[in-house]
Amino acid sequence: MRRPAVILALVVLAPASARADSEPAASQELGAALGVEAGGRTSPGGFHLLGDYLYQLSDEDWFDSGMSITIGSGAAGCFRDRDDDFLCDEGIAHGFAIEGFAGVRRFFAGQGAFAPFARAGIGARLVSFRGDDVIGFALPLQLGGGIRARVASGIAVVVGSELRLGIGWFDRELGTEPQIGFAVHAGVEFAL
Amino acid sequence: MALVAVLAACSVSSDVSREIGARCDDQDECDDRCLTGVRFPGGMCSSSCDDDSDCPDGASCVNLAGGACLYACSADPGCTFLGDRWSCVAAPERGGEPDSTVMVCAAPQ
Repeated sequence: MRRPAVILALVVLAPASARADSEPAASQELGAALGVEAGGRTSPGGFHLLGDYLYQLSDEDWFDSGMSITIGSGAAGCFRDRDDDFLCDEGIAHGFAIEGFAGVRRFFAGQGAFAPFARAGIGARLVSFRGDDVIGFALPLQLGGGIRARVASGIAVVVGSELRLGIGWFDRELGTEPQIGFAVHAGVEFAL
Repeated sequence: MALVAVLAACSVSSDVSREIGARCDDQDECDDRCLTGVRFPGGMCSSSCDDDSDCPDGASCVNLAGGACLYACSADPGCTFLGDRWSCVAAPERGGEPDSTVMVCAAPQ
């Protein structure tokens, strides 16, 4: 857990180059994106839908919060080993999750209409594996980045990826479980 | 390297799985079927089969329970991971030569 905390601090606190001139001047934006998330063990995966609200904090930094849903297969992946311990080995795209998140997106100098960014945040998610009747609550750190391209006045297209590392608490004797997932998505953001 | 370490930490380490070997009381706990009864103490997830090619690596298809995959073995210690009452026993092979037997993990009759 120490390294993600260091990366988070670096992203939030490190000096950044000026934000690309192409970035919209609006101080608030709404976005929607669609992608896929890869999970496993007790981390959910599947199609990933998210909506976010962006609020400009400074020339480089935007507060980024929103909700996301991960929808994967309902197939079962848990079993009892020979010691009668309950284990889950869910597939890469199993389960369901609904998440609220908040973080900071930092833009860096880009070229033309393109502006790269890094993002760090934290989420709180309810996780369910229907095929195994397992539910839980997880707190993943979100570390990622992407590129935003302005395509029209007040409209930008965004592609990004995100690593999720965290911890979850599950029922059915599972208890505390590590959480790891990787998501890629693409979407649109509108200036308000 | 850190990511690889984290991924390794997140993988489940077990000798058994829903495909073969997990404890079970009914079919819902397995990918295919749950073998129960005195030959399979504690229950064991398995797959129906007609010959060895239907079974996972390390398992043989035998004429028990209507054709089922069981762990292949050469001696009793190879079956202890399944529990105290499991032994390495001869069972009629399914899909092989007539009257042939193979050594698999099960409880003695």
